[in-house]
Amino acid sequence: MDLAALEKQLRTLQADAATRISAAASTAELDELGSSLLGKRGAITEILRGIGALPADDRPKIGVVANEVRAAIDASVTARRVALSAGELLERIERERVDATTPGPAPRLGSLHPIPETIAAITEIMSSFGFVVAEGQEIEDDVTNFQLLNIPEDHPSRDLWDTLYLQEPGRLLRTHTSPGQIRTMQAGGPPIRVILPGRCFRYEAVDASHGFEFHQVEGLLVDRGATLADLKGILDELAKGLFGSAARTRFRPGYYPFTEPSVAVDVSWPGSKDGWMTILGAGMVHPVVLENGGIDPETHQGFAFGLGVERIAMLRHGIPDLRAFLENDLRFLAGFR
Amino acid sequence: MKIPLSWLREFTDVQLTAEQLADALTLRGLEVRGLERWGANWNKMVIGELLEVAPHPKADRLQLTKVRIGDGPILNIVCGARNIAAGQRIPVALVGAEMPDGRRIERAEKMGIASEGMLCSGQELDATDDGDGILILDASAPLGVPLVDYLGEEVIDVDVKPNRGDLLSILGLAREVGAITGAPVAYAARPLKEGADAVGAGLALRVTDEALAPHVVLRVVDGLKVAASPDRVQMRLKAAGLRSISNVVDATNYIMLELGKPTHAFDRAKVGETVQIRLAKKGESLETLDHEVRSLDATDLVVADERAALALAGVMGGASSEVSPSTTSVIVESAIFAPTSVRRTAQRHSLRSEASHRFERGQERRLAALGADQVAALLTEWAGGVARSGRLVSGAEEAPVTTLNFRPSRVRALLGVSLTDDEQVALLGSIGINADTVADASKIAVTPKRSVSAEKGSARAVRVPSWRSDLEIEADLAEEVARLYGYERIPTTIPSADLPPHRPSPTLLRDRVRRLLADAGVQEVVTHALVSAGHAALWSEPATLVTGPLAASEGSAGGASIVLQNPLSADHDRLRQSLLPSLLDRVDVNLRYGATSGAIFEVGRGYGSTKGGPTEWTRLAIAVWGDREQGAPSAGAAAWNLDELKRLLAQVAHLVGERPGYGASIESAVLHPGINAVITGERVAGVLGELHPASPIWRDEPRILLAEVAIAGLRAGRVAATHVSLPPATPPVTRDIALLIPAATTVGQVVAVARETITRATAVELFDLFDGPPLAPGERSAGLRFTFQPTATGADDEAIAAELAAFEGAVLRACGARVRGVEGQ
Repeated sequence: MDLAALEKQLRTLQADAATRISAAASTAELDELGSSLLGKRGAITEILRGIGALPADDRPKIGVVANEVRAAIDASVTARRVALSAGELLERIERERVDATTPGPAPRLGSLHPIPETIAAITEIMSSFGFVVAEGQEIEDDVTNFQLLNIPEDHPSRDLWDTLYLQEPGRLLRTHTSPGQIRTMQAGGPPIRVILPGRCFRYEAVDASHGFEFHQVEGLLVDRGATLADLKGILDELAKGLFGSAARTRFRPGYYPFTEPSVAVDVSWPGSKDGWMTILGAGMVHPVVLENGGIDPETHQGFAFGLGVERIAMLRHGIPDLRAFLENDLRFLAGFR
Repeated sequence: MKIPLSWLREFTDVQLTAEQLADALTLRGLEVRGLERWGANWNKMVIGELLEVAPHPKADRLQLTKVRIGDGPILNIVCGARNIAAGQRIPVALVGAEMPDGRRIERAEKMGIASEGMLCSGQELDATDDGDGILILDASAPLGVPLVDYLGEEVIDVDVKPNRGDLLSILGLAREVGAITGAPVAYAARPLKEGADAVGAGLALRVTDEALAPHVVLRVVDGLKVAASPDRVQMRLKAAGLRSISNVVDATNYIMLELGKPTHAFDRAKVGETVQIRLAKKGESLETLDHEVRSLDATDLVVADERAALALAGVMGGASSEVSPSTTSVIVESAIFAPTSVRRTAQRHSLRSEASHRFERGQERRLAALGADQVAALLTEWAGGVARSGRLVSGAEEAPVTTLNFRPSRVRALLGVSLTDDEQVALLGSIGINADTVADASKIAVTPKRSVSAEKGSARAVRVPSWRSDLEIEADLAEEVARLYGYERIPTTIPSADLPPHRPSPTLLRDRVRRLLADAGVQEVVTHALVSAGHAALWSEPATLVTGPLAASEGSAGGASIVLQNPLSADHDRLRQSLLPSLLDRVDVNLRYGATSGAIFEVGRGYGSTKGGPTEWTRLAIAVWGDREQGAPSAGAAAWNLDELKRLLAQVAHLVGERPGYGASIESAVLHPGINAVITGERVAGVLGELHPASPIWRDEPRILLAEVAIAGLRAGRVAATHVSLPPATPPVTRDIALLIPAATTVGQVVAVARETITRATAVELFDLFDGPPLAPGERSAGLRFTFQPTATGADDEAIAAELAAFEGAVLRACGARVRGVEGQ
């Protein structure tokens, strides 16, 4: 084998390869063809095996030719790949096309019940004024639910609370969250800022605005100097937090045996249908109640308030009938997000 | 308390409209519940005068009338009433009028004669109960004027709070109105002309229990004729919400409304010679006016004669001495009774009356005599009676004058206002709480039982009006000052005093659990705590299920069911011990609403009665049914099953760092005996399973699954920060163990042994479970994968191998399960 023969072989290979490369129908075929020409055991390597028979002077020369041929083949493989892959990409795209506009499977969505969520909303507002949450017991005794709150036995004010009694004498289901005031004061002295949410019970026929089970949030603040003006300030903020910053409050005298003076709070907001809506009762903690809680009314004073959670939730969400809250129709609850 | 404004105007001048008055009263603490307008529906009804009344030619029962209506044409109206005569003024419904009962007045032929309207009875106008005759008006009634302008009435309904018994009267409300308007308030007592006979002739009064009846006044009125009350009186009582009964009974009711003083009229002929006020005797009974025979308790105070009880004092009269059409003489009893005694008697006999309502709230002493006199005066005026001279009286008429001291500086400090001392005193004076400049103002009543000394010159004294027994302490006067000043004028400030120390919210963990479940697609519900006996019997958590520190923090279930003494209904007569029956109930409701699948949860309380008293515990309950989520069109929907419920519980348990284990099933009426397990763990424990097939709401499709668990911190816990170590660079390794589990053994038992022996594993999962040939019947093949995190030195292989070997031995001994092979790197 001489230099010329070897060079001819390479040039023939180059010409032949050009034809085959341009005929390759897919990148896979092209890859196979490429490695059969240029790979470790490819055609060029095969031809260059004869190089050992050449004189030492000719070897570099044939090396130059081989590199030329290799580069030429490589270039045409690359060029052909670009051409082929563009088509193949289009083909893949068409092959894989789906209708991506289907609605997609709906996930099951849960939500939190409006009663605990309304409690959470109240808590969130009050916590910004330093009120912390505490929870009490639902089974109470007559003493804490009534007597220590300045509601003596046989007093007509008891008519304000129709009570569910347990068979065990002296025990009852709390009619309000107010006994928490006594328990909070007894558990630790002032300063006190506490929110007491929870379930309450009354002997009450069920209708659109009454139930025998309902929820209240009690608030209590006791320190040295809290005033009725402070009560107004805090509850005005609470009303605005619940019903929007455009809400207006109206404070008027109310009656609760455990506050003196007592306050009823009405709220109205743009779009509220019925003018002033009563949302809560409040007042300065009665000196007798402070004393029953172990606090000297000559050195400390404070205020307390109580909201009906169902009523607040009804007003905020425009719900006409509170029975819906305990009905738990999933279609109704799905409306709360 | 319903107040006809015309009545109010008899005691004070009211220039305000009804709406303005209602607003002003509401802002002063007398909440107005409603405003009624009597006669607002009297359209096309005017006052007419009868010019002629002649017999109808064809009908004996009808009369032909000619009626003049102001200057208009004379109307011909056919009328069936007998009490009409020419010259009377009467209400006329014109053609086109609509009567309160909805009837329309048309031009009509009545037995051949045209009738151009209708003459109205009190009943037809819904003004009195008299349906027999036409309502005859005063001769001074203005002709042609719309009837509403003459007879119409505005009525304000005020919600009177229990501490203000004095406001259960027109006069009491007038005092409040006077304080608002500044107009004077005066009560002009009707003069009483007494006859010659003395009240004491043949009648004595004996009060045996002066503590319960501190002051009693009797009057006797003779020679009266029982009949209907004057129309005006009937209308006024009706507007105030009372039914007219007879002139005698109406007189007592009229004074009760006017002065707030209940009195009672006994038929003199049915009463013996001594009126006694005494406690009932054992075994004594009394038929009350409602014709119930009531057996009396020895603590019931009665009005009696020498023979028998006649009335429940302050509550209701008796049938035997009831005023009847034949009555000609009455004893008017007007007394002050102890509020508590009246309240107890009224409660004991479930007999709340207008009278007992007022007695319970306390009575002003001086009203006893005034009330008796005013009733007697009305009886002479309305029933032609003659009052005997004098009264029979027991006890003192006047209560001692009370003074009350207050520190204006304390009022300022309590209210946050800058009202001067004199301004405060002036405000109190506007409602009749007048300054007492003579009294010693040094003692301040802080509570009814505790007084303090005021600094010299810092306090003021006021005289408490006899009708304001609610004013007892300094704070009561502070409220009056605030009320009379106007709450709306008190400033609005934010308290800036000391803040309490931080205390974590008890709902921190609970809120995270709730949020997690909601985000996982489970809907929160809130259900009744009060359930039925059937509900309660379904399931109550055994005390052995949640124990140790978990029971201590979340409450220990157990004890007897707590039953109400006075339930509203059998459906809600006891407190639940478990949330599951309540949730099932909601599942049932939602299935009926067409929810073929769903997932709900509640965090709530169970209640039980133990030796130490009632207890409450906190649990999370979950109920799921049907599809877990909507599937893709290609794949089917994924249904809820035990594993999916466990996946959910594992997520919840992760919040408290717990990997729950599952132990032996339990027998109950609520869980499928073959598809349930107890959940075990230090920080999570409970039960889960499918609904028992015997349950009435069980169905083959969809299956309903339930879980109820205690979670450490759910009641009042915080989410504690945990120590976390940095992982080494070496990747975790796994070991897969194949086991052959005999028929009687559960996977839970095997896993429990693995957890005890292979303590280095960071995770255990079941990756394969297989039964059937070639295995023996009941035998199962299980594949457990353990994950270990090797330390950086990599020297754990031997330790892991040792634990696996220990497991192999232990699981064979404890469960009879044979390890078939271990694989892993």
